[in-house]
Amino acid sequence: MTDILFLILSLFALTGAVGMITLSSTMHSALSFVVTVMALAGLYALLSASFLFMVQIIIYAGAIIALLLFIIMFLNIRQDHTPKEPNKYMTMLLIAIVLAPMDYLLFTAFARMPHIEDFSTKIDNFGDIKMLGNALFRGWLLPFEAISILLLVALIGSIVLARKKERR
Amino acid sequence: MIEASFMSYISLSILLFSLGIVGLISRKNIFIIYMSLELMLNAINLMLVTLSKYFADIDGQIIAMMVMAIAASEAAVFLSLIVAMFRLKKSANIDDYNTLKQKGTL
Repeated sequence: MTDILFLILSLFALTGAVGMITLSSTMHSALSFVVTVMALAGLYALLSASFLFMVQIIIYAGAIIALLLFIIMFLNIRQDHTPKEPNKYMTMLLIAIVLAPMDYLLFTAFARMPHIEDFSTKIDNFGDIKMLGNALFRGWLLPFEAISILLLVALIGSIVLARKKERR
Repeated sequence: MIEASFMSYISLSILLFSLGIVGLISRKNIFIIYMSLELMLNAINLMLVTLSKYFADIDGQIIAMMVMAIAASEAAVFLSLIVAMFRLKKSANIDDYNTLKQKGTL
């Protein structure tokens, strides 16, 4: 059951990613990225990260991609605003060839890690909100506060950057 | 038959990260470059969660959550920058964003 779910979700994630980088319309490519994000949320659920599953759906699909779609529609991106890329597939092929040794290196490095039996079994209450909150507010308190200050800075910065200049 | 083992999650994460790099370098639409960045962050998150399960340690999931918070703040700043640049240039092509380039050279 887990294997079939993993197969379906990873196919969805890869198809969405390939569609995102190849489709020429900005809107279509953003909608294709939603598929990838939702499939990754399902993979988090398979990896017994139940809180991250919810966070992925709420933050990524609900906030980041919704904001992106909102900006695309707000700016009214038409076909003549987006660049024509006549030889994008050639460039993609070249970059894929350059990246292949790095992928091979990473794959062999991870393949040498000691094999553990039965990776898909659920450890009891691993990754639920209580365990995550305990770890977050004990060992990770300072990074948590730093992240909240970073979010405040990003909020103020985005308002300042996107505001229209007033006339003097 | 593909099974949901450690190596298949790692391979999926490596593939998604490479697709992100390919989209980041080959496309010229600023929105697709932004989405490729987000895809790379997502792939790293998947690898962190996989390693968290592998070592039965919760810290990987906490780092993944921090990455999500950084991605959210990056989304706000990046998209407001896109709005400002689109008002100025009326284009989503990164070749048009060349105000800082010295004219006459290269």
